[in-house]
Amino acid sequence: MKRAPGAIEDCLQNEPAFCRVACPFHLDVRDFIEKMQRGGFNAAYRTYLNAVGFPAIVTALCPEPCQGACPRRLSGGAISMKLLEQAATTYARNTDPVRYNVPAKQKKVAIIGAGPSGLACALRLAERKYDVTVFEKSGRLGGHLHQVLPPEIFLSDIERQFDREKVELTLNTEIGSLTGLDFAAIYVATGANGTDFGLAQEKGGAFASTRPGVFLGGSLRGKDSMQAIAAGLRVSGAMERFIKAGGMNHPDEMTGTRLELGASLVASADTVRPSNGEAYTRDEAVLEAGRCLQCSCDACVRFCDLMRYFKKFPRRIAEEVEITIHPGTLDGNGTVATRLISSCNHCGLCQQVCPQRIDTGGLLLAAHRTMREKGAMPWAFHDFFLRDMASANGEASLARRPTGHETSRYLFFPGCQLGASDPRYVTESYRFLLEHWPDTALMLCCCGAPAEWAGDEAVRAQAMARLRQDWSDFGKPKAVFACPSCRQILGRHLPEIEGVFLYDLILQQGITLPLCAPGTTASVFDPCASREEPGVQQAVRALAEKAGFELAPLPLEGKLAQCCSFGGQVAVAHPPYAHRVVATRIAEGGHPYISYCSNCRDIFARAGKPCWHILDIQLGLNGPDRAPPTLTERRINRLVLKRRVLEEFWKEVGEMGKPRMDLIVSAELGQKLSDEWILETEIATVIEACEKSGRRILDPATGSFFGHHQIDHMTYWVEYAPRSDGSFELRNAYGHRMRIEER
Amino acid sequence: MPEQRVLICQQCQKALEPRKTDFTYLGHSFFTDILTCPGCGQVFIPEELAKGRISEVEKQLEDK
Repeated sequence: MKRAPGAIEDCLQNEPAFCRVACPFHLDVRDFIEKMQRGGFNAAYRTYLNAVGFPAIVTALCPEPCQGACPRRLSGGAISMKLLEQAATTYARNTDPVRYNVPAKQKKVAIIGAGPSGLACALRLAERKYDVTVFEKSGRLGGHLHQVLPPEIFLSDIERQFDREKVELTLNTEIGSLTGLDFAAIYVATGANGTDFGLAQEKGGAFASTRPGVFLGGSLRGKDSMQAIAAGLRVSGAMERFIKAGGMNHPDEMTGTRLELGASLVASADTVRPSNGEAYTRDEAVLEAGRCLQCSCDACVRFCDLMRYFKKFPRRIAEEVEITIHPGTLDGNGTVATRLISSCNHCGLCQQVCPQRIDTGGLLLAAHRTMREKGAMPWAFHDFFLRDMASANGEASLARRPTGHETSRYLFFPGCQLGASDPRYVTESYRFLLEHWPDTALMLCCCGAPAEWAGDEAVRAQAMARLRQDWSDFGKPKAVFACPSCRQILGRHLPEIEGVFLYDLILQQGITLPLCAPGTTASVFDPCASREEPGVQQAVRALAEKAGFELAPLPLEGKLAQCCSFGGQVAVAHPPYAHRVVATRIAEGGHPYISYCSNCRDIFARAGKPCWHILDIQLGLNGPDRAPPTLTERRINRLVLKRRVLEEFWKEVGEMGKPRMDLIVSAELGQKLSDEWILETEIATVIEACEKSGRRILDPATGSFFGHHQIDHMTYWVEYAPRSDGSFELRNAYGHRMRIEER
Repeated sequence: MPEQRVLICQQCQKALEPRKTDFTYLGHSFFTDILTCPGCGQVFIPEELAKGRISEVEKQLEDK
């Protein structure tokens, strides 16, 4: 069955390196080099020995086809594998053959021809303790090696490798016919001009002849010395398969690799030459091994914060996700990837950089939905954000057309976070839009991203249904977006709503710039949701340049835009990861940032990175160091925004209910609450509950009252002191997810 | 030691003392000794406990 493009099975992580495919022995060069790089000559020699069978012969004869495949050949010279193999052999602690402690197999196998291919096959089968008989028509070992190497080199290597194995060697015996040979399997390796006993190659398996149990290979099949030895080593597997399972269908050898390597990533480094002109010293060998690129596809892990943090490739992630969403036990134990699934920022960079377009983020989002549907996702991870969304779509929401207009060409959709950051971002922008398009409608609500990221399809669909209805009632206007995430989410689920970015309109219409910053250098930080929006990326740069900024590029931007850490709302589920992402992002550019997502702006500013929102520059609102509002202030800002727009644009006196409690919270404590995802309105509810029920605990040493109350799932604790004027001084507050089963 | 401080239940005017208290999270139940009013059963969890052991157990259960 043909797989969908971008399936995880297409991942190139395990594709062989170019050199390995070119090598007749398919030596795992990455593994060999890794050992050489750390000076593990003995281990490297074992890898080499296991691959080639006769190391001295192969080192002497190998024409190094790997060199033609090595990407380093274009940047300093191909890796000198032969010199490295020599070094491994020279500096290995122990070059004795391995003694295999395996019981005798009680199966007789025959090899016809004692050339390099036949001997290689004999060696492997003898190591596996088959009863091996080698027939050779001449009186000597080595076959065609006598024409290409001095006998002392190859004979000593053959003797050494067979040192611990027993083989029945029958010299001066020419086999005229296979009839009457009583063996479980036979390898015909009679050399370049040898007999094939009238057998043809069978296409159904490697080395298979048309006669079951008889295999053909080596120079008989037109192979050179290296390929002949490699064939001898490999045919032993085909013969064993036949003996055990009866099939001749041994798989063919690897013939290619789908690996691709971005040449731009390769920095030049010259070949290390042996100082004595012949062989490497240990240090030279380690240096040369260090030049190896160990070619593999790791684009995702290099670019994706999540894969780098967890040190996991997509295949491994897919496996862990599978056992997490389909755990093997009834109580759901073994859900190993819950935290990983909940940590993805859903920025899409993994798919962008993957040569196979594998969407690992999409896999994680689908898994998140499955977990959510099963009730297996801890509620705490998205509880705050879903309640925040409910507030934005409830008390703070608004959908209005300007008075006197029956339909609208444009609908301003600022999103719920822009006004929460600073209500003026929305009021000033809306005023600009009304100046140019007086029928522009306004919608204050959430796009549904929190529900999307929480995997809560029901909540997302409900929010979008309402949004769609309002849009339809307004005459299906074109949406004016300020937030790339809103644009992305609505584009995904309500593609019928056409959209444009506020910044494009500002650029088109021109605006008198209150903030001019001639010569100030800054970097535009593209929000991850702008990845597929080159137009807005360019518009914001044009606006910044018009304002006098010199723009310095960031290492990754545009198509490779990265997440500020807000995406996926992972900060509750995985605080250390979110902090790591922010710290990484703000360190990537030395200049202040300009963003066009208020979440990026506020997160960077909270972490100490000067950052403007492009509207700060266009509308002359704030400097780059403005401290972002706390979570409580954000909620209040949304309500303030709603009241202000009703007053200014609809001449209605908005109701901004008096706070139900006069709660005194120091700025420091307010920030602490915000950092711990606690709202002061929740704290007021807890104090109210304590005061009403009288369930309070007095600390006589401080005069503080302690009390607690559960709101939905969360349990909140307060430490407070009532004041004589009826207000309450909050001294501390904290919460926990665990529920107290009180009597 | 935070456990050493005397805390008074305002309802019962009694000093809290450690008693077995049950907790649940994500379908798992367990118990530990928590300062509790011997009269009405009102409990007290200090911030150190909430941020320390309780938070650790929460994480373990989320990752289980």
